[in-house]
Amino acid sequence: MKYPRLISEGSVWIVATIPSIWAGHFLLCYWVAAVWCAKFSGTVPASLTTPRWIIAALTALSLGAIAFLAYRALHSYGGTFSVENEINQNTSHDRKRFLGHVSLLLAALSAIAICFTAAPALVFARCW
Amino acid sequence: MSWTDDLAPPAPYDKARDEAQRSRLLDVWREPTGWRRFSAVNNSIVGRWYLLTSFAFFVFAGVLALLMRSQLAVPENDLLSMDFYNQAFTMHGTVMMFLFAVPIFEAVAIMVLPEILGARDLPFPRLSAFGYWCFLIGGVFVCGSIFFDAAPDGGWFMYPPLSSDPKQTGIGTDIWLLGLSFIEVASIAAAIELIIGVLKCRPPGMRLNLMPLYCWYVLVVGGMILFAFPPLIAGDLLLEMERAFGWVFFDVDKGGDPLLWQHLFWIFGHPEVYIIFLPSIALIATILPTFARHPMVGHSLVVLSAVGIAFLSFGLWVHHMFTTGLPNISLSFFSAASEAVAIPTGVQIFCFLATLMLGRFVPSIPMLFASGALAIFVFGGLTGVMVALVPFDWQAHDSYFIVAHLHYTLIGGMLFPLLAGIYYWYPFATSKMLSDRLGKWAFWLMFGGFNTAFLPMHWTGILGMPRRVWTYSLEDGWGLLNMVSTAGAFIMAAGFAVLAWDVLRPKGKQPLAARNPWNAGTMEWSGEVPDMPWGIRSIPVISTRYPLWQQDGLLGQVDRGEWFLPDAKEGKRELMVTDILDARPMFVQRVPGPTYKTLLCALLLGGVFIFATYHWWVPTALSGIGFVAALIWWLWTGTGLIPEKDSKDCSRGLHLPLYASGSRAVGWWAMFIMMIGDMTAFFGLVFAYMFFWTVHESFPPVGTVPPDALYLLLGLALCLGAWALVNTACVWNRNGRREAARTLLLIAPIVGLTGVAAMGWACLASDLNPTRHAYDATCWVLILWLAGHIAAGALMLPYCAARSWAGHLTPFHDADLRNVTLYWHFMAVTALITYLLLGIFPLVSGGTA
Repeated sequence: MKYPRLISEGSVWIVATIPSIWAGHFLLCYWVAAVWCAKFSGTVPASLTTPRWIIAALTALSLGAIAFLAYRALHSYGGTFSVENEINQNTSHDRKRFLGHVSLLLAALSAIAICFTAAPALVFARCW
Repeated sequence: MSWTDDLAPPAPYDKARDEAQRSRLLDVWREPTGWRRFSAVNNSIVGRWYLLTSFAFFVFAGVLALLMRSQLAVPENDLLSMDFYNQAFTMHGTVMMFLFAVPIFEAVAIMVLPEILGARDLPFPRLSAFGYWCFLIGGVFVCGSIFFDAAPDGGWFMYPPLSSDPKQTGIGTDIWLLGLSFIEVASIAAAIELIIGVLKCRPPGMRLNLMPLYCWYVLVVGGMILFAFPPLIAGDLLLEMERAFGWVFFDVDKGGDPLLWQHLFWIFGHPEVYIIFLPSIALIATILPTFARHPMVGHSLVVLSAVGIAFLSFGLWVHHMFTTGLPNISLSFFSAASEAVAIPTGVQIFCFLATLMLGRFVPSIPMLFASGALAIFVFGGLTGVMVALVPFDWQAHDSYFIVAHLHYTLIGGMLFPLLAGIYYWYPFATSKMLSDRLGKWAFWLMFGGFNTAFLPMHWTGILGMPRRVWTYSLEDGWGLLNMVSTAGAFIMAAGFAVLAWDVLRPKGKQPLAARNPWNAGTMEWSGEVPDMPWGIRSIPVISTRYPLWQQDGLLGQVDRGEWFLPDAKEGKRELMVTDILDARPMFVQRVPGPTYKTLLCALLLGGVFIFATYHWWVPTALSGIGFVAALIWWLWTGTGLIPEKDSKDCSRGLHLPLYASGSRAVGWWAMFIMMIGDMTAFFGLVFAYMFFWTVHESFPPVGTVPPDALYLLLGLALCLGAWALVNTACVWNRNGRREAARTLLLIAPIVGLTGVAAMGWACLASDLNPTRHAYDATCWVLILWLAGHIAAGALMLPYCAARSWAGHLTPFHDADLRNVTLYWHFMAVTALITYLLLGIFPLVSGGTA
């Protein structure tokens, strides 16, 4: 019996990668700001100009990566995106479409969450 | 063209054959009786033990809550002493979280998951039993301490410097640290078991898009446990090392920082809330379609919610630390994530409501509890959105507002769905129904009592009452609200007493429940009445999401033994392992039966943790040696066994292998998943190192010489050398060079241990003293971690060599060696990261020699 390959044929990696991009973006934003404020802020609160630019770049990069993966997921899904779609047929094709659908929904959620994470950089100019 | 098209039609029904098969299956799966019952490992028995034990701990923690409420009923009360009150609130939180909320997920999942998957059992039944015994022993140890006035009293999150000073907090803190670390073994064991159960033991045909939502939740929560629990294990290690041996991690005078504990605790603690919440929501997601008579609306949206919450929940931990003085921008990231997590949480609730709207609602006691759960949880979720805002949290932090919020989320999000599950699955577990009339009494008493108890606490908090106070004065003006809360708590307890009576009352004369009494669509209801111990009569091909609704005649086919593995001719307990994506049959996994070895191992491992609590080092060491010996005995006699033939006929013309190794085998996946958790704990230590670097101007501190570069490099080279030897041994064994492979397996441990000794020497040569400064202690704890792991890896290698000599490990049957090689891959990464941190990082971090 032939088994589909988990990574290449399953598109499972897209499901995991999309929210991982949110996680990576979140941790990097936090670390950049935290290390900057810990290392460069003395008695005067440090300016956040550099971290803000880094966060902007990270956000653009992450959203770009998510858009690319969403495009791949749309390919797996193979249809016009609709929020509610049953996809419960007993075929490999539907399994693939299902994972594509979940990935697309995750892409939307992750993109929103990334924008949420970037929002503080719009507000704060100094460490405290 | 699907593989199912090749299947032969079922043989015509033959009553004599059916009875013979049933009798053989019964012989194989029969549970031990009398005293021998303690040796049982079957999921239905272990699940039931787990469930009852968790509820016993729930009652214990609930009684503590009632004592606390009695103390707080009137101002300036002295019903409880202040010391006892401290122990009571610490134990209440600890027991509810660690001994009830998490284990109950494991309990329900161990019981229900295999049946919902149409499987006979989980792939590692003995591991489940071992986990249960660890949980029981650890739980009794932690709870028992309160009867000796020795219970932990530092609050359930055990903040240093209070908890790190043995003069201020006594043996209770050690009991907490070591007892809970021991219990976490059970959680991680269960996580491994459940993840592999979902991924590899699905019935043939159950593709990922057909998998029930419950399984998605179990998979997600299992993954969360792997990433959430290990940081706490790392934190426990650091805190206990400081308490027991004076290693410096949290003492500010010597370069430590108490905030490190808060980070490690809450990296565990916040995902923990979702680890508790998601499995309970999973119960609603399973129950609700049954009573709506309609498949779940937005199946993929619910999967999105589960996966989305799992990820986002790891970005929330600092919202427990909003008042610690971190920079505002840092706080805001966590505030943003805390708001974002409301999106997927809300999505699944809307899916539930949509299912109810589109279906035909059938009122029932499970749905009564589920509806109450949603009402309470939404309320708690909304106060969660409030406290996720930093300025609001500054006002509400550590007040009764938080107590109210967390109880609304946990009781609404966890307890009520669980009770819905108890009512729903009671006939599944016992073949008897619970009483509708008592169910209504229980619900309304609990629902009313809960809201009476906790709604006023929002006001008490806003009026300024801090949590964890032993008493308060009349002038504070909190008396009336507290009296109302206390009355509510007792009403709620009365509701629980009604439920407990209904569950435990003898039901000998009550008729058996009908088969599938709720008319559900999922496979766990395919069991016969009265229940048989084999799980399922024959393992069917699943082609729909709700097989009992959507696959006509399925129950009859299963009962007549028309599907796979309808027999146990060889007298072995057998499961079918399938592939992750499409659940195509891969091989037949034989699982071991009843044994006392798991209990023995748990007792000995318990000895290690319990004796270490009291610093009785000789019994600790003896227990440790005993544990390793018992573990080897268990593994040697029960795992990696070579079958008497290569493949077997599973019926309908399907022939499957009886052995698998490498990434096809479930053992390999277990090792992989365990090591992911292990690496996460290691990253907890790495985080500690990096955290100290950010809080110190110079790390290593001025005047400290980093570990000797040459010895470190030599140590790394030797560790990597050992890894290369293990890899080579694996390849040689596969190529038939068994003698040479054995030799390498005996050389590799020596090389690896010498390597880690060289790394240790590098620290000694630089005069690093772990009681002097946090830098020294962090270097040493990294070495200690590596040494422990290399030592464990070194034990595995002669074991494999011995297996090879004894003929249990051959070029084809090499599962043991493949798994051990995988372990050593992780060792190579651990050694490399340790080297980079100790050897390279000081060169680039600006530390001074």
